[in-house]
Amino acid sequence: MSERRPYRRAQPRDWWAHKPYLGYTVRELSGVGVALYGGMLLAGLICLWRGPDVFDAYRRFLASPLSLLIHVVLLAAMLWHVVTWFQTMPKTMPKLIVGGRHIPQKHLTTAGWVLAFICSAAMIATVLAVGALS
Amino acid sequence: MSDAIARTKTIELRVLRYRPLSDTEPVFATYQVPWSDDMSVLQALQSIKDAQDGTLTFRWSCRMAICGSCGMMINGDPNLACNTFIRDLAPAPITIEPLRNFPIERDLVVTVGDFVKKIESIYPYIMPKVPRSIADGSYLQTPAQMAAYESFSDCINCMLCYAACPQFGANPDFIGPGAMALLQRYNGDSRDGGQQARLDSIAGEDGVWSCTAVGVCSDVCPKQVDPANAINQNKTKSAFDFFLRLLRPGDGS
Repeated sequence: MSERRPYRRAQPRDWWAHKPYLGYTVRELSGVGVALYGGMLLAGLICLWRGPDVFDAYRRFLASPLSLLIHVVLLAAMLWHVVTWFQTMPKTMPKLIVGGRHIPQKHLTTAGWVLAFICSAAMIATVLAVGALS
Repeated sequence: MSDAIARTKTIELRVLRYRPLSDTEPVFATYQVPWSDDMSVLQALQSIKDAQDGTLTFRWSCRMAICGSCGMMINGDPNLACNTFIRDLAPAPITIEPLRNFPIERDLVVTVGDFVKKIESIYPYIMPKVPRSIADGSYLQTPAQMAAYESFSDCINCMLCYAACPQFGANPDFIGPGAMALLQRYNGDSRDGGQQARLDSIAGEDGVWSCTAVGVCSDVCPKQVDPANAINQNKTKSAFDFFLRLLRPGDGS
């Protein structure tokens, strides 16, 4: 009567495509978007190195509708990556105890978002200022 | 009172059953259960066992979300049956399965042996930094020192986090969220000196590095232990330890 015959159910192959894991999947894919954008910037650098003609071709590609579409998608991926990166950040840190009190994780996330916004705004302002002066 | 009787409601429970001696694989059985607003899923199962089918097997003990025995998949999500109420799920049929990612022993009972071994493997006790005799008096700890680990000591070993972890589903040898929360409970204790022994036990692929920060383990935890935090802060420590190991003289391992 006490014979054991444990039954192991296999994990579905598509677990990542369903709730509650879909958010995680999208978060990780947004990282791929960030990498692709890094590749695009690197391509620009290589074109610059290869000479003015090649760089002009690169700039023409940037102005094309296809490139604009890609950039809109990559911008969305980048923004989502920033949002979720700071949501994950507190999970990777030891508990922050200040004056004997535990700082809630959501405060760290909000601080990260504010910092990212300030840095991004400063970067855009710098680019616009340099563009206006040159 | 007569009102309550007149308004007897019935809920359909679809329960995944597995009888190792007669079933080749688990199959769903359907039960109609009369219910009231204060009835938990655990009470519904108990009513089936009492009135309909005495062979239905499930674990339970305290009925108040502290013993960690009655974890199961309720409508696909890992939950404590005693802490989930029919009123929140009715009137749709409720699907009840054993905890995901664990071998099924019988009906809703899963194998816990591997989980217990994992807990044993991380030295789940204080290894004093400085041995003291009784004459030396007690170990002292400030509220801030206690706050550093206290929440990790709230784990009730219900294994919902393991059922929520797709990496544990892919690799049953992964140390997993619950054992890592317990590890952090001791590693974060100011009285403890066993950090290195515990870090050594979780350095490999089956240690912290199977975790990809999915984070659902912390979402399903009924005690807000946040095992995802326990694992991920130890990835940083494990990575530092990997490099510091090269600098430590006399450590050939």
